[in-house]
This record gives sequence, structure tokens and C-alpha cells, in this order.
Amino acid sequence: MQRELSIILENKPGALVRVVGLFHQRGYNIESLHVDPVTDLTKFRYIEERLDLKLEENEVSHLLIKTTVSDNLLRQILRQINKLIDVLLAEENLDT
Amino acid sequence: MKIAGNDILIQSLIKEEVEYIFGYPGGAALHIYDAIFNQNQIQHILVRHEQGATHAADGYARATGKPGVVLVTSGPGATNAITGIATAFMDSIPMIIISGQVAKHLIGTDAFQETDMIGISRPIVKHSFSVESAEDIPEIVKQAFYIATSGRPGPVVIDVPKDTTSPDELFDFVYPDSAHIRSYNPPISPEKKQIERAVEAMLKARQPVIYAGGGAINSNASSELIKLNDILDFPVTNTLMGLGVYPATHKRFLGMLGMHGTYQANMAMHNADLIIAIGARFDDRITNTPKLFAPNAKIIHFDVDQSSVSKIIEANIAVFGQVKDSLQEILNELESRRNEIDEKKLDDWKQQIKYWKEKHGLDHKMHLSESNEHPIMPQAVVQHVYNITNGDAFITSDVGQHQMFAAQYYHFDEPRKWINSGGLGTMGFGLPAALGVKLAFRDSEVVCITGEGSIQMCIQELSTCTQYNLPIKIININNEALGMVKQWQDMNYSGRHSESTYQSSLPNFVELVESYGHVGIKIEKNSDLKKGLEEAFAIKDKLVFVDVYVDPDEHVYPMLVAPNGSLKDMWLSKDNKV
Repeated sequence: MQRELSIILENKPGALVRVVGLFHQRGYNIESLHVDPVTDLTKFRYIEERLDLKLEENEVSHLLIKTTVSDNLLRQILRQINKLIDVLLAEENLDT
Repeated sequence: MKIAGNDILIQSLIKEEVEYIFGYPGGAALHIYDAIFNQNQIQHILVRHEQGATHAADGYARATGKPGVVLVTSGPGATNAITGIATAFMDSIPMIIISGQVAKHLIGTDAFQETDMIGISRPIVKHSFSVESAEDIPEIVKQAFYIATSGRPGPVVIDVPKDTTSPDELFDFVYPDSAHIRSYNPPISPEKKQIERAVEAMLKARQPVIYAGGGAINSNASSELIKLNDILDFPVTNTLMGLGVYPATHKRFLGMLGMHGTYQANMAMHNADLIIAIGARFDDRITNTPKLFAPNAKIIHFDVDQSSVSKIIEANIAVFGQVKDSLQEILNELESRRNEIDEKKLDDWKQQIKYWKEKHGLDHKMHLSESNEHPIMPQAVVQHVYNITNGDAFITSDVGQHQMFAAQYYHFDEPRKWINSGGLGTMGFGLPAALGVKLAFRDSEVVCITGEGSIQMCIQELSTCTQYNLPIKIININNEALGMVKQWQDMNYSGRHSESTYQSSLPNFVELVESYGHVGIKIEKNSDLKKGLEEAFAIKDKLVFVDVYVDPDEHVYPMLVAPNGSLKDMWLSKDNKV
């Protein structure tokens, strides 16, 4: 089924392409992709708590990726993305 | 004190206690090379090709556990390093690759020797950095070493535009004490609950196998594994990458498993009710067809990398964390429940394994006769090398039949003694890796077991060995063909040897190595084998290249039946399939 992944990553050169590249390397397909620098931090305060850090405006980007995968593959993709050094957090977006 | 970017880079490496840089100079790296010239704490090893630099640094890293450091120039220097970076990446080896880059204002203009090294290397590095300013170098180097060596280790590229190492601009040099990367927190301690569940499963098992791989070596978990199994007394198998992490001469050792694993190791895995995977990743050379893999086994998987767990084979109990720490936790838990261990419970299983081993185990006395009625067997070459070196040498290998014979017939009792490219399977790895090992262990015997195909892929490094006086031994198991390719062609393509032989074009290896100042010994007869090898190992101050002509028709067995086979489906010889 189609899922949406929500990924918070450092807003710096080369970070986005590591995530996008990983999809191709591991044989997954991206169906839709949206990325923005995070200017309104109110939605992301939970990340600060979870990772015990303080975010500043425009310091990180929020990436939304839609892809069609099974449960097992989703877990594998998320683990691979979370392994990337510039990624703070990758999880399934269950709000959609 | 203010210093320039090139000196900042080298001083940073000195702070990281780097002993050797393996490299090759060129335009974009010249400022850095000038900084190397002006110091004497780090020795630079000038290789003959950048691929050699990466494999040498890799060999150094595998043998010592410390990161290997590579320095190359931009463009072709960088692209030549790629194979070695991918080799290190696949086997999770810590390595720092510093690549020169054209000056920042030229990036993107197709300048001379410009290539997008960050882009080209991205899929085969753990991480990479592009230097923006000389001031950033200390922080980047600190972070690069931290990333390369922590968690699941791997190669890290630092791309350095020439202007950031310019001698004309000076900066304060302050090296950070520690690295902190907020988005990277690798050391996770194992969950108590998972430890308890794992111990419970171990106590219940009647047909258990411990399956340990390269991750156990990377984590330096050998002593914990041995201690753990002193209590459990389970059969143990190692992957190609894990050889040495459990002593090969231990009575519970089954030998290597997988594609060319022993009969008893593969049978034990297939029939197990519990598989304890320690720093191993269920690679396709291990599982054969995943759907048919160990149908009755519960899996406990210890790994530092979450993405390796349940990737191929679903784990029932996952224990995340450095396997060294996890095994120590298991030991503690097991100690407290020692009274629950029923030693008799494993008796039938041990009998069964003994039966498998006696029935179809590798014959370690095979073909050791000195009769000239049959050709030299490649297995005999490895066995003689094992006996002559008392099983104590560092063995590097290339890729192919000789690699499998070395893995099967040299018994590694310690970790980090067996140095080979398991994941990527890189021909050309063996000689430069041996060079790197020898620099780290000058007083130890370092042997490269290779074949006439592989050795020619990085043979230029014979010259490097001359320059730095590195008296390694090279055992060239010469079957005058790309043996493993030919074996597959024999088995799967009705013996059509498409492009796997050289039609008398091989060089005279003895004359070739002698032209570099080394010693060459050619062995063609069984009656000369032992004597010739003993003669080679008696020479201590020179590189000796032994060119041994072996039976060109020999195959590596056992061999898993593929595709669609399980671990119990093996060829045991050319005409015996079980």
C-alpha cells in the first residue's frame, strides 16, 4: 500500500540527495516528494523532546516521500534512512 | 599559533594518531603533500595506483582495528580509489579517504581533473564531507574519524578543494577533544528484556548453532564469544568474514558455512532449532534460497546495525548494540542461571554433528603425498603454508578458488589474521592489503595467498614493497585460468570456458618479481612443493613470490546447489550431489 514517510534532516547541501539516492540504491521507488525548510517549529517540538536537542528555524528540512511498500519493506527503508548521518528522524506519517 | 589549511589537515591527522597515509600525489593534492613533506610524525606510503592505496589502508585497518587513511588527488586519483572504498564499505571497515578537489571557484566548470567525488562515492561511503574553509578542517576530521570507527564502521570521504589547503592563508589551529553529531548516536546498549529472552532461548535449545561473522571481529567480541561458549558448549560456525573470531582448532568449531562451507556447518544450520547470529548479516552466500533457509530455527540476531536485522531472514529475538557489550550482558545473565544448564540435552545434537563431520567433512590429509603421479593440489599448498607458519601468519587473499581453499584449509585461531574481501569480492585486494598489514606488523609473517588472475590486477604494488622493504610472502596458486569462473562454466555452462583462460599469455612471474628486486620461486612438481615452500619461508629479509602450478581442473567443494537450493543441498565433488 502507499505510505508517506516523514523525514527530518539537516538543512545542508548534500543531505537531501543522500535520502533520495538511497531509494534508488536499495531498489525502492519514490512516487511523490516534497521538501521544505522548517520555519514553523511548533509542529516539531516532539522531535526536540525525543532527541533531546533544540531546533532553530531553517536549520532542518522536512521531507515527505510517498512510496508503495509492504510492512516489512517499510521497516527496512526507515532503518536505512535513519542510518544516514544527516537524518534526525524518519518515520511513517500516520496523519495522512 | 596560526597555520595554513594544508598543515591544519596534517596536524589533525597527527592528533588522530595516524601512523601511515597511503596515497598518490597530484595537482589538487599538492598543498597537502607539501605539508606532509614538512613533518615527520606520519609516514606516507607511495603506492603505484590509488586502488592499491585503498586496499593497503584497508588491510592495515582490518589487522589493527584502527582506521586506514588514504590520500588521493582529484579526478582520476579519486575515481581509482572507488573500488577500494566500495570494498571497505561492504565489509564495514573503518577508513578515511582524503581526496583532493579542484579549487572552489572551479567546481562545476569541468576543470582539469575535476570529478564529483562526493557524488560518485555517495552510495559506497558511510558518510562524506566537502571542505568549505580551512577553518572547518579540524571539526570535519574529528567527525570523520568518529563516524568511520563507531557503530557499524565504514569508509568516510573528505573532499578537499585545493584553495582550502592553500599555504597563503593562516588560521588558528584548535583540535576538538570530541565529536558530537546530533543526528548520529550509534552506541545503543542492548535491552535487558531482549537479553533475558535470548538467554531463555539458549537454555531451551536442543539443536543450537552459533553463527558469527565479521561484525563480531569489528566489535572485538572474540573473547566474549569464547567465554560464552565455554558455558554453552554450542557448535560454532563462522562466515568467511568471521573466520578467527572463534578458534578454528576448537573442538566445537564446525568450519566456515555457506556457498563453500563445510558439510557439517551447513547441515547444522539447516537442521538447527536455534541460530544465534552474532555480527553476521544472512548474506546470500550464506542463506542460499532464503525461503528454504533453516526451516525449524528460531533466530537470535545480535547486531549494531538495526537495518541488518530482519533484512533477509526475520529475527525472533533482536539484540541491538555493540555485540561485545551484548555478549557480555548475555554472559552475566547466563552466569546467574547456570544451574539451569542441562549439558546432556545437547548430546544427540553433538553426536549428529560428529556423524556429519566424519561422513563428509573436509579431508585435511588430502593430496599431501609427494608423488609426481598427480599434479599439485591447491588445497595441499594451503595446508603446507599452514604447517610451515604454525597457523600463526596473517593471511590476505584475493578472490576466487584460492580464496576459498585458504578459508577452508588455513585454520585461524585468532581474529584479524584472515584478511579478505568478502562482501565486494575484489580481485586485486590481496597484495596491497598484505603491504598494509606488514607495515603494521613488521615482525609477523604476512602471506598473500592469491591466484595468477587476481595478482595481475594490482601487481604494480610489487614496486611499493621494494621501496619500503616489505618482505611479505606471495603464494600464487597458479591454475592458468580464472578458476572460479571456469568452475561455474564447468558446472552450469557445460564446460564452455568463455574468456576464462589466457592462452599462454601469462608472464614469467619469477623473472617479473626479480626485476623488482624480489625473490621468485617456481614450483611445478609435487615432490618440490613442501621443500620449495620451506625454502621460501626461510627467507626473512626479502619478498618471496612462489609461483605454484596446480591441477587446473580442481574445483572447490562443498558447493551449495543454486538456484533454488537450501543449505543442505550441496555438491561434495564433481559427481556427488547430496
